Amino acid sequence: MTPPRLLAAVLAGKAAGTASRLVGQGGGTTLPGLIASRIEPRTLALLAERLTAGSVLITGTNGKTTTSRLISSLLQGLPARVVANRAGANLVTGHTSAVLAGAGLTGRLRADWGVFEVDEATLPSAVAELKPRAVVVGNLFRDQLDRYGELEMLALTIERGLEALPEGATAVLNADDPRTAEIGYRLGERTGRLKVLWYGLDDPSVAISELPHAADARTCPRCGSRLDFQQVYVGHDGDYACPTGDFRRPERDLSATSIQLNGLDGVRFTVAGVQVGAALGGLYNAYNLLGAFAAGTALGLKPGYMAERLAQVPAAFGRQERFLHQGRRFTLMLAKNPAGFNEILREAERLGGGRHFLLGLNDRIADGRDVSWIWDVDFELLAGECAAETLIATGVRAYDLALRLKYASLKATVDVDLNRALDQLLEAVPAGAEGFILCTYTAMLDVRALLVRRGWLRPYWRT
Amino acid sequence: MGHRLTIGWLYSDLMNIYGDRGNIQTLIQRARWRGLEVRVLELGKGASEGIETVDVFFFGGGQDKEQELVYDDLLETKAIHLANAMQRGAAFLAVCGGYQLLGHYYQTAQGERLPGIGLLDVRTVAGGKRCIGDVVIESDAELGLQPRTLVGFENHSGRTYLGDGVRPLGRVRRGNGNNGEDGSEGAVSGNIFGTYLHGSLLPKNPHLTDLILSRALNRELEPLDDSLELAAHNWIKDRELSGSRRA
Ligand SMILES: [Zn+2]
Repeated sequence: MTPPRLLAAVLAGKAAGTASRLVGQGGGTTLPGLIASRIEPRTLALLAERLTAGSVLITGTNGKTTTSRLISSLLQGLPARVVANRAGANLVTGHTSAVLAGAGLTGRLRADWGVFEVDEATLPSAVAELKPRAVVVGNLFRDQLDRYGELEMLALTIERGLEALPEGATAVLNADDPRTAEIGYRLGERTGRLKVLWYGLDDPSVAISELPHAADARTCPRCGSRLDFQQVYVGHDGDYACPTGDFRRPERDLSATSIQLNGLDGVRFTVAGVQVGAALGGLYNAYNLLGAFAAGTALGLKPGYMAERLAQVPAAFGRQERFLHQGRRFTLMLAKNPAGFNEILREAERLGGGRHFLLGLNDRIADGRDVSWIWDVDFELLAGECAAETLIATGVRAYDLALRLKYASLKATVDVDLNRALDQLLEAVPAGAEGFILCTYTAMLDVRALLVRRGWLRPYWRT
Repeated sequence: MGHRLTIGWLYSDLMNIYGDRGNIQTLIQRARWRGLEVRVLELGKGASEGIETVDVFFFGGGQDKEQELVYDDLLETKAIHLANAMQRGAAFLAVCGGYQLLGHYYQTAQGERLPGIGLLDVRTVAGGKRCIGDVVIESDAELGLQPRTLVGFENHSGRTYLGDGVRPLGRVRRGNGNNGEDGSEGAVSGNIFGTYLHGSLLPKNPHLTDLILSRALNRELEPLDDSLELAAHNWIKDRELSGSRRA
């Protein structure tokens, strides 16, 4: 039986979802949750209790959307019914909206699993409400510090969230990230009861030997000495140890070896005796793939099954989408902080010269209001080997971006208006060539909306 | 003299947040564009070699934890060298955490006073709410900057108060500045500049960059084409002063 107040909350929330979809206010990703929570503040917890199998949470600064989608896909293939929040709707209202979408009008939940990407700062409340069976913590790159104060605080918040995990739950942690590792170490020392599953990459052939400038966890979290990195994979993720011997990368329970990168088309590696691959390009997607594989392992899925299932993942799964228009190829990618941006630029560099870029920078709340991070992006890469042919800066802070490029000895044209900037890109890309669109979060939403309006992409809540 | 610029980057590994690298890149490029040879000396923990050759020091902000890590080294290894550099007229730009550490002390929420190195006559007290957001200031008339405004982004919880030995870098037109109370932002004394503005500060304020460079090199600098710099400067200035910012 559904208690009357919960029932009222479900009905009101679902009605709000339908209405917002009808008037075209996007996918109804947060409004239903907001409305329902006003009527019954415990809507999320009460509905989550009705999941037959339980839930999984995914957090970390980069890659949580892709990792969440991969985990959903793994569970759906079992088969199982999965509710999941939409990209970016990673606060409690977004989670509530997600479970509401999976609930019938009687408040009965037609789902087995809940898969939720969680904003790092709200992990404690998400754990309290959802009582997950596993939490994946990917990486902690410098990101939106103006929203949360400082990275250290964020790490402590995540630690507090994991500390409250229910008995038998697993913390699935990226061993290659020094800050994530420190969270795991401290939890082990303090509670001792928590199950930790460590994952990481182990293939020097895809590593770079030096930390990029953007790396922000270069120092030992124990003593402050500069960490020695044997390998660097993405951002500050790699194989590290403190010269004083008090801190090093944890031993991996799941280690990805023989990593093969195929540009933006795919990545594959060996883990737990199976070959895992997916149509997701870039080394950063190796982390997303491995994180999903590790979460699946924590939930008892078999390696062979997961390898088979992940191989079927469609390319548009990641935070990169590709489309064809008038014989030209376009790739749309989210680039929201230095680590993510540098990864994409490195990827572009691997592809060789003669590239065309549209770069979009906004400074709304969801992007982070402080745009100073662009000075930590290695745009200098575009001046080297890969010799960008076209650079167009757009978005609210287009001038800041163009200025950053100027000091990297690159010349960009500026157009604050997205529509015109997009037209410029179309004009610049010759037939048969490829254009890249790299944007911060809300700039990405704006570009996407434009592309949908022009009929080149489908709206995201229907995909 | 003057054919070479040496930048001393204090604690480049630990005190490098909020795009401090942008300030370094701007100093480098604007010197190079004028035909100077540029050298960057990274002055990490324990390092002081070559410190006597530095023309301009940059001291950025750090997270609380990292600030704690450089603290002893600053007092024990660097303070004496920096005082000497000040005597011989080297320029300093200190932002946020670096600015606080150049002052007399930082008083924690518990009332403990952590001494700074006292190159600037300012004191900082731990505050409650963080001051975060875009800032526009009207620079102090004595600096003779053209345009008068400086733009940046602040993110600090410390409240800094100025003594008689410094002048403010400017008056706040938008944002909080030193303490959110007296309308002042930053501090200047001789060739030492302290401020809460990052964003990064120097790229969008080429006039301030050139002032610091010319003080460091003790000579006039030929003008550059700053149309893009000023377009970025004016864009954010106009938005913030017109109050048209949207969420
Ligand atoms: Zn250590």
